[in-house]
Amino acid sequence: MSKVFRNPDVLWRRESDDSDVSQEEAVAAILFSGGSMLSLNEFGIELWEMCDGQTVDEIVTTLMSEFEVDEDVLRSDIQDFLNSLFQKGFIRYE
Amino acid sequence: MSNLQLKAPLTINWAINNSCNFACSHCYSREDTHDEISRDVLYSCIEKVVKAGVFSVNFGGGEPLLHPDLLDIAAFSSGLGLRVSMNSNGWLLDYDKAVALKNAGFTKVGISIDSHLPEVHDKFRGVAGSHARALAALKHLKAVGITTSISTVICRINCSTIDELVAMALEHEVGQLNFHNFKCSGLGMSNKDELDLTPEEWKVFYRDAIAAKRTVKNLDISLDDPIIALLDARDAGSLVKGSVCGKLSLNIKSNGDMTPCGFIPIVIGNIVRDDLQQVWKDSVVLDKMRNKQPTGKCSGCSKYEDCLGGCTARALALTGDMNSPDPHCWGSDAPAK
Repeated sequence: MSKVFRNPDVLWRRESDDSDVSQEEAVAAILFSGGSMLSLNEFGIELWEMCDGQTVDEIVTTLMSEFEVDEDVLRSDIQDFLNSLFQKGFIRYE
Repeated sequence: MSNLQLKAPLTINWAINNSCNFACSHCYSREDTHDEISRDVLYSCIEKVVKAGVFSVNFGGGEPLLHPDLLDIAAFSSGLGLRVSMNSNGWLLDYDKAVALKNAGFTKVGISIDSHLPEVHDKFRGVAGSHARALAALKHLKAVGITTSISTVICRINCSTIDELVAMALEHEVGQLNFHNFKCSGLGMSNKDELDLTPEEWKVFYRDAIAAKRTVKNLDISLDDPIIALLDARDAGSLVKGSVCGKLSLNIKSNGDMTPCGFIPIVIGNIVRDDLQQVWKDSVVLDKMRNKQPTGKCSGCSKYEDCLGGCTARALALTGDMNSPDPHCWGSDAPAK
């Protein structure tokens, strides 16, 4: 199974250094690549940080231990998110 | 997303010097301070910017290639992880300079070209031969692998030449063609009657520019004017509504003064003495720009949510009030019911 890598050209930062971002929809991080920008919530940034060579299966397994959710639902959410990152050129598969 | 408050700017537009070898009719910084921060102090300021989390700096001025330490400053910045770009008139940019810029870490350089016609550009810029040197600069930059763009300030000399400007950009294989809206700052204010368009003319220009943007391949046509929301053309992927100034970007002048953008002459701090994140978070001026209130014909306008009154700099320059409707807006003068 292919591994997921962050595009090294993408700059990113956490926005939550000194404030609580407990709200699910709060902006936790920003990705920036040329003219393309994306804001992520806490779930998004956690997933983004896992794009370091892990497979989707490994990511699903890790996150299943954190969330009480049906695996199919979680896998679908993860795949949708990764698809959107891939379309923007923020990640690549190897 | 209109109230998105980041911890720091994503981008800094940094006028590291105000000296210039051109005499452009629309120059916004001709009367700006010529005080410049010393190199060592500038380095510590750049470290501050990096620490705050800023992603990129775009050097401008003035003509940044006239700054004797530009290459060292850029290398220092890129070495700290900043993405470094520049806007230049291209006059001093030969092949050797392009190689030096590449080695200093420049990833993108924008060249200002205001007409596809050499005689029109040269007259507007006040320097004979400047059009040819600008095009040559694009060629040198491309040869060394630096991404290029053309920056064109839209005004009366070029507003009806979109196709020709696009053809020029395609011929020189630039990645992006930036159509900048005309600001009434500096000489732009003094010469506005001669150069600026009427609201109806802006509508025609943007209608045609948006059509070009949607049909032209292999070229990113960038329109940075919030009032194109009136034509339903705002970038849906943008992090913020309205102007990005003071929300995603900040301007720093050659003496370190921070302003919301290069066209708003309100100093909100100084990068030498102040904490960037603190200023970004606490500035009353920035807060007002991030929370504009509709007035006049903006009140009840169905596009206000996307446009947020248009260009704040233009409204402030021509009316004295940031919340005033953008003077370029062609919307109905009567508030919407």
